[in-house]
Amino acid sequence: MSVPTPTVMRPAPDDADEAPPSGPPAAKRRREPLPYILVVPSLLALGVLFGYPVFLLFRMSFQQLGFGELVQRLTIWIGFDNYTEILGDSEFWQVVGRTVAFTAVCVALTMALGTGIGLLLVRLGKKMRIAVSASLVIAWAVPIITATTLFQWLFDVNYGVVNWFLGTPKHDWFATGLSTFGVIVTVIVWQAVPFVAFTVQAGVLSIPEEYYEAARMDGAGPVRAFREITLPILRPILAVLTFLSTIWDFKVFAQVWAIRQGGPDEQTITLPLYLYDVGIASKQYGLAAAGAVVMVLILAVGMVFYLRHMLKTELDS
Amino acid sequence: MKLVQAPRKLRRAGPNALALLVIFFFAFPAYWMLRTAFLPTLDIQSDPPVFFPTDPTFDHFVTAVERPGFWIYVRNSLFVTLSAVALSTVTALLAAVAVARFRFRGRKAYLVLILAVQLAPFEALFIPYFLVFRQFDLLDRLPALILVYFVSILPFTIWTLRGFVAAVPAELEEAAMVDGCTRWQAFRRVVLPLLGPGLVATSIFGFITAWNEYLYAFVFMRNEDNYTLPVWLATFRTAFGDDWGGAMAGSVLFTLPVLIFFLIVQRRMVGGLTAGAVKG
Repeated sequence: MSVPTPTVMRPAPDDADEAPPSGPPAAKRRREPLPYILVVPSLLALGVLFGYPVFLLFRMSFQQLGFGELVQRLTIWIGFDNYTEILGDSEFWQVVGRTVAFTAVCVALTMALGTGIGLLLVRLGKKMRIAVSASLVIAWAVPIITATTLFQWLFDVNYGVVNWFLGTPKHDWFATGLSTFGVIVTVIVWQAVPFVAFTVQAGVLSIPEEYYEAARMDGAGPVRAFREITLPILRPILAVLTFLSTIWDFKVFAQVWAIRQGGPDEQTITLPLYLYDVGIASKQYGLAAAGAVVMVLILAVGMVFYLRHMLKTELDS
Repeated sequence: MKLVQAPRKLRRAGPNALALLVIFFFAFPAYWMLRTAFLPTLDIQSDPPVFFPTDPTFDHFVTAVERPGFWIYVRNSLFVTLSAVALSTVTALLAAVAVARFRFRGRKAYLVLILAVQLAPFEALFIPYFLVFRQFDLLDRLPALILVYFVSILPFTIWTLRGFVAAVPAELEEAAMVDGCTRWQAFRRVVLPLLGPGLVATSIFGFITAWNEYLYAFVFMRNEDNYTLPVWLATFRTAFGDDWGGAMAGSVLFTLPVLIFFLIVQRRMVGGLTAGAVKG
C-alpha cells in the first residue's frame, strides 16, 4: 500500500464525520474496550510527562520560589505577585516586542521564499528540479547546531567568506544586535524554507490538470488560472505552514543562544533566552514560570484564528 | 504545466536562472563546511579564500574524533535518541491504530489533546522539568533526556502514523479474519508489514528531532560525561579557540548520519509530513 500522498491535502468535506471510518464495520458498532486499551499508554505518558509539568508550571507561577525556598522545601503562595512583577518589568516587554518582530521577519521571509521556490520547482525541467531539491534537502538535513556553527564561520570577522564575497574585509557581523539578528534570521530561513517549498510543491502537484484545461477553454490566461485555481487550493496549505512557522520561530532557542548567547549587550535576547536567564541562571523559578505562562498566552492569543481553523478542518476528517 | 506556448528552451530560461540562485543559496554553505573540513589549516586562513582543496587532508577529522569525550558523546546521543524513538514509536503505533480503526467515545477529545500538545511550547517547560528531575534525582542523567524527547515527539508520531494506518484498507484485515486469522494475527501478518514505510518515516523524523535537541541537553546535563553531540558541538569552538577546521569536521560528522537517513526517506517523509500536518 502506498503511503498517504499529498493529494489528500484538501480539507475534508463537512459531512466526512458522518461517513463510516475505514475500520471493520462490525468492530465499530459494538462498544469495545480495545481502543481504550490502545490509547492508555500514550495518555499515561502525556499525563505524567506533559500534563504534570504544565500543572507545576502553572502552580509555581503563583509561588515565591527561588533557590532558597527550593532547598528548604518551602511553599510560599504570593498570588499574582510574580505576574505583576514580570508584567511591570520594562525589559520583559522589550524582549516580547523584539521576539514578535523577530518571529514576523522569520515567518514572512520563510513563507515568501518557500512558496516562491515551491512554485518554481513545478516549472523546472527534470534535471534542474532534482538539483534544486537536492540542495534544499541538504540545508534541511543539517542539524541545527551544525548550521549555527557553520554560519558563524561564513560570517567570521577574519576569514569569513561572506566578507570576502561582499568586499567588506574585517567587517564584524556580530558587533550590533540588528546585524547579529540578520545572521540568526538567515540560519533559520535557510533551514525552514525547504519544508515550505516541498509542501507547496506537493500541493500544486495535487491539483488535477483538468482544472487548468477547463480554465484554458474558458479563455483564461496563465495569470488568471493561477489566481483562480492555484491560489485558492494552496490557501489552506499556506495557512497551516504559516501557523507552524510562527510557532516554531516564536519558541526558537538553540540558534539564538548558540550564535552569541543573546549578545552583543543582550540585544538578541528573545523570550526563551529571557526565561532561561531568569529561571535557570538566576534561579528565580516562580518568576520565570509566570513569564512562561505569559509566553504561552501570547502565543495562544496570536494563534486563536489559526487554531479555530485548524481544529475545524482537522477534526472533520 | 503547459500554460505557455513559447519554445521550451526559452520558456525555461527565467526559471533556470532563478533555480541556479536557489541552488547557490542552499548548497553553498554546506559546500563551504565540507571544503573547510578538508583544507589544511594554513589554507583556511588565506585571503583570497581557497575554493577547492587541491591537497585535501583528514587531519581535522582526526582532531575532532580524538578530542576527549567524542566517542562518549556519540554513544550518549545514540542511546538517548534511539531509546526515545523506540518508546514513542511503540506507544504511538497503539494509539494510531485506535484512532484510525475505531470510532470510540472520546476519540475527538483525544485528537484535540494530541494537537494541543503538538503546539505546546516545550521551550517554556524546562523550569518544571528541571524541578521534577531534581526531585527524582534525574537531573544530570541521560534518562531525563529520553523522557523529554519521548514525550515531545510522541504527539507528532501518533498524528502522522494515524495517516499511514488509515491508508491500509481495512478490507485486507477483514479478509484475513474471514480466512481464519485472529484480529491480532491479521494485524501482525497483514497490516504491520504494510506499515513499514510509515514506521520508518515517522521514526526518522523522531530521530532527527531528538538527535538535534539542544536546550534540554544544555540545561540538564551538567557533567561533561553526559553531554550529547549538540552540546559538545556548541562548546567546541569556545573551548578550543578558532579551530574552524576542527569545528567544521565535527559538523560534517554530526550531519552525516542525518543526511544519509534523510536521503533514504526524503520522499516518503514529505508525504507523511504533509498528510500528518494538513490532512485529517
